[in-house]
Amino acid sequence: MGFFKRLLFGDHKRLHDRESSDPDKEPEHPSSTKLSVNIDYLMHEFHRTSDLRIRILEKGQAALVYMESLVDQEKIHEMIFKPLELGDVEHISDIPNSKVTLNMEEAIQTLLRGHALYMEDGLRGVYQFRVTSSFNRSIEEPANEKVVRGSHDGFVENLMININLLRKRIENRNLTVKYYRLGKKTNNNIALVYIDGVTDPSLIQEIEYRLKYISADMIHSPGYVEEFIEDQTFSPFPQMLNTERPDRVTANLIEGRVAIMSEGSPTVLIAPSTFFSFYQSSDDYNMRWFTGTFVRLIRLASFIIAVCMPAFYIAVVSFHFEVIPNELVMPVKQSINGIAYPPLIEALVMVVIIELIREAGIRLPQPIGQTIGIVGGLVIGDAVVRAGLVSNLMVIVVALTAIASFVVPSNEMSTTLRLLTFPLILLAGTLGFIGITFGFMMILIHMTRLESFGVPYTSPIAPLRIKDLKDTFIRMPIYRMNNRPKDSRAVDKEVIGPSREWKQLERTNNEQQPAGSQEASQQASSESNQSSD
Amino acid sequence: MQTQIGVGVLSLPSDLHQVAKQDGWISLAIAGAVLPVILFCLFLIGKQFPDSTFEQMTEKLFSKWGGRVFSFLYILYFSSVAALIILLFGRMISLWVLPNTPFWAIALCMVIVGLYLANGGLLVLARFYTMVSGLLPVLIILTLFSFQEVHLMYLMPIGESGISKIFEGASEAMLSFFGFFVSLVIFSEVEGKPRQKFIIILLAHFFTFFFYMITLLVSYTFFSTTELSLVPEPLLYMLKSFELPFVARIDLFFISVWFVSVATSYTTYLYIASLGLKQLFRTKSIKVFNLVISLFVYAFTLLIGFDVAKVDRHANVVVYGGYIFSFTIPIVMVVIILVMKPFQKRKEEAS
Amino acid sequence: MKKILLIIICLLLLTGCWDERQFKNIKLVMTMGFDQGEDGGIIETVSIPTVNRGTEGQTEERVQVLSTWARTPLEGRDFVDQSIAESFDPAKLRVVVIGEELAKENIYSVLDEFYRNPTNNLNAHLAIAKGRASDVLSYQNISDTMISEYISGVLEGAVASTHATGENIQLICAELFEPGEDFSLPILAVDEEKQLIKYDGMALFHEEQYSGVDIPMKLSTMFMLMQGIKGRVAHLTKKVSDEHEDERYNYVTVNVRGHKRKADISVHKDTVSVDLNLSLKVRVVEYPSDHLQEKRTIDELDEKLSETLTKDAQKVVSLMQEANSDIWAIGRQVKAYYPEVYKELDWAETFPEIEIKPSVKVEVIQHGIIH
Repeated sequence: MGFFKRLLFGDHKRLHDRESSDPDKEPEHPSSTKLSVNIDYLMHEFHRTSDLRIRILEKGQAALVYMESLVDQEKIHEMIFKPLELGDVEHISDIPNSKVTLNMEEAIQTLLRGHALYMEDGLRGVYQFRVTSSFNRSIEEPANEKVVRGSHDGFVENLMININLLRKRIENRNLTVKYYRLGKKTNNNIALVYIDGVTDPSLIQEIEYRLKYISADMIHSPGYVEEFIEDQTFSPFPQMLNTERPDRVTANLIEGRVAIMSEGSPTVLIAPSTFFSFYQSSDDYNMRWFTGTFVRLIRLASFIIAVCMPAFYIAVVSFHFEVIPNELVMPVKQSINGIAYPPLIEALVMVVIIELIREAGIRLPQPIGQTIGIVGGLVIGDAVVRAGLVSNLMVIVVALTAIASFVVPSNEMSTTLRLLTFPLILLAGTLGFIGITFGFMMILIHMTRLESFGVPYTSPIAPLRIKDLKDTFIRMPIYRMNNRPKDSRAVDKEVIGPSREWKQLERTNNEQQPAGSQEASQQASSESNQSSD
Repeated sequence: MQTQIGVGVLSLPSDLHQVAKQDGWISLAIAGAVLPVILFCLFLIGKQFPDSTFEQMTEKLFSKWGGRVFSFLYILYFSSVAALIILLFGRMISLWVLPNTPFWAIALCMVIVGLYLANGGLLVLARFYTMVSGLLPVLIILTLFSFQEVHLMYLMPIGESGISKIFEGASEAMLSFFGFFVSLVIFSEVEGKPRQKFIIILLAHFFTFFFYMITLLVSYTFFSTTELSLVPEPLLYMLKSFELPFVARIDLFFISVWFVSVATSYTTYLYIASLGLKQLFRTKSIKVFNLVISLFVYAFTLLIGFDVAKVDRHANVVVYGGYIFSFTIPIVMVVIILVMKPFQKRKEEAS
Repeated sequence: MKKILLIIICLLLLTGCWDERQFKNIKLVMTMGFDQGEDGGIIETVSIPTVNRGTEGQTEERVQVLSTWARTPLEGRDFVDQSIAESFDPAKLRVVVIGEELAKENIYSVLDEFYRNPTNNLNAHLAIAKGRASDVLSYQNISDTMISEYISGVLEGAVASTHATGENIQLICAELFEPGEDFSLPILAVDEEKQLIKYDGMALFHEEQYSGVDIPMKLSTMFMLMQGIKGRVAHLTKKVSDEHEDERYNYVTVNVRGHKRKADISVHKDTVSVDLNLSLKVRVVEYPSDHLQEKRTIDELDEKLSETLTKDAQKVVSLMQEANSDIWAIGRQVKAYYPEVYKELDWAETFPEIEIKPSVKVEVIQHGIIH
């Protein structure tokens, strides 16, 4: 809502200023007819960087300029020299697939993109050849979003390949890509992808509007973009879905959401996203819907476990031990009797240790990382219990919490969950159950207050939309999810038409010709008899 | 809309019992049946002024200054209800869960939750309520645990305490439905046709009624007649003695869940009180008034604290206030509207 | 700004943990016993188990039994508290044993504290000790180290085999307060010779007092069935013939599979009479004299059993009336359905006088996997 306010009341002046200042940012510098002037200008602009190569051709009458580090020598040969050698063309300037510009600034831009420039004395035009070299990782399944079944490709660092992956999946003229150049110094390419006619135009407008506001020297990863355009930065909850899976992006695009991709990062941002979208995995849709529902329910239960479990344990052992059932009283008492520290400290220490182990495991190379896991998990855990520093119940509780937090398909959400345990632990240590309820309520209120691009974060629970619950707690059979969820604010409602009508047809056919089907079954049985003979 | 269920749930059975003995449930039924009439009055008022705020309504009906005085009184009333909720909540928590925790800490929890929630505005309020209304089934299920030990006999003999007592009980029961008045105040803030809104309000009312009835019947049949007069919060007391295989003392969980529903009803009163102030001062932001009223309520409750006698006195004031503000004035307003209607029509025709 | 406020509040909250009761610093009292003491006081006996964990996970359990004289139960608790390390907490109380003598005076005075304070466990079993409660509690047995486990095990066993009702502190509350309704509690006795604590029938109460009349063990299953309560199994062993010389051949043991209880209360002017019809469907589980192939023998057995059990039932009724213990809540039902009659009666005086006619009808429906 704040956005509209800003749009209506304030910031008009600033917006205006920026628009007027835009042309200054890309100044025009006409190219000269003199080769030496042009070369000098380039040399000066690039501060005589060593990888700027200038090849003097035709006895000093022409020059080919390129960034050595950005171009592919093979391509230069292929595109520029081969036609010459073959005699197809007389001059380099005659080679058809070149682009001519009269603006040196533009030439500099293309040079930075890995083009080669050809200039001739006496000609104002600067010919640009696209000879960019690119080094790409092969398309692999993203390590942090593995699925059992389903497609095993993932985005890479190259924007073109990423868009290619999407276009292959959505062969539709309505799939629209819009480029933005962001980052004053780094000049990164950001792409906004959506399906026209499905996505709400006002949503696209709003995202564009927010993107245009970004004024930073560097846009180095989608995390930058996310923090610049999300509604609430002072929130532990991620408000945009991060994913590296093309199938996930495709599904979200079809649902009417917008994807924001950036050059140099395999991560794609999806907006608007709600709390529950972080709990959906593309795996769910490749399973039977019973199992999909089951798995999803377990995942959602893990949210409660991850956030509340240590707090609950602390509240029980230091406030309300009446809650422990009779049979468990003595075992629990046994395990915590000789512990020196209060449970609050115990829990904090253990949670921090788990985080340490996790962080150490990520940073270290794989073989060592696993060792750290074993050392941390088994050796430290065991030793700590034996030494009587931490009770074994606490180890169980904290370990369960950690496992529960890793169940979430989204890494961002999982870190959020682990962060949220801390305040709840503190509250449980001061006010017991009331503290937990208080904390949980604050979290819930915060979540209801959050909005992701005008979409309530907690939808479809609050505001309640029973239809959309089909894909929230449970996963209904896919043909039942025939409307797009409302939280994506899609314009076009229907996503799946009648797809299982054949079943009904079959049934009506059977009813119409009961005799015929009987005959058929008799025939079938006689056939089976024959075969058994 | 389900703000009606609040502090009352826990003590309603015994309150009713004090007046009407085992026929308390009949009283409740009568109260539940009478209330739609008053709700209909509210609906009439709301329909008459579909676009105007509560403050504007009173101004139209009671002239400018009279309206302002009325609005101010209402604000006072709403904030005192909010204060009462905090007081009862504090008392309950202190009795049942945290006997040594000072009042200011418990009250602070409530005040913070209320402030944070109310600052989100009506939309967030509504969203939060729909979200936590998922907890009501939990409360009901917890209540139903006690069906193992139900003695329908305890409801007998019907009508022992006499009709006058039953009606007295009914008026007592009606007080537990005070939340309905909120619907008038936010009538114009909610989108939708008046008829639709009315139906929603009615549904909310019947749901509350249903919920009260369940708790009442369960506690009436679980406890014997004499025992019930000794136990101020029969529902909790009942849950206390049950044990599930994995947890004992269900009452503690019940209180924790109940905290949420109390917080919602507190926030509603806080919100409408500051909404009133906002309309009175004709400003845009409500946050300042939320803070002002929260602080006011907090300071007020700190003055009273755990003192049972003072809490009861305050409760009495609020209850009588409730009679005036929730029953009498709406009816007066309806009468005025009905009287004025022909005049207005004539005026319109004339112009 | 709001965040800073929140952080400050969190810190503020951290400074005081007013209600913290660290579980590890608490001595759990699992069993409590109350006896009549001198000068109108009580003697409170508690057993406190202590566990210490060894380094290798082995645990050592010790039970401490303390007795102290006090005027009220809470004062007794304070006295006990002064003589033990750490603090005393009855929140996980399993069993409350009340001595015979004290029970005969009034049991509510002892129990009030349990009802009043929220942390107490209302789920605790309640039992009457034959003799003194302190004897039961200080008894050292070999198999179960914890006396609370032992006693509650005994009581739960009695409930499962349809000998006791399984009353806890909360469940008797209604009967304690409500006029025209009484209750019974299981009796525990220490068997000095065999070194055991055993269940020994049901103690009948009148209002808040133990009447001194017991339902003996032999009749307790019948007593339960007449209340309409059945545990997991309900065995009845009865003599059905005198024909055989070998005594054991004269008995039959049946397991009650289904029971239906119907109590008709009829009021004629001022006289209340009750007809109790109990029909039992049983399975024969032990009958050495066999011959259950024929329908006639089964019918005879039915008749015989019905007869003996009706006699038992009459005995139970007479015991109840002797104790003036209205276990069936007849008084409350009269109050519920005939309020005018009830108002004129002094129920405590009427109950021993009313006519109660029990009749038991037995039907053998199964006879095991042999005839």
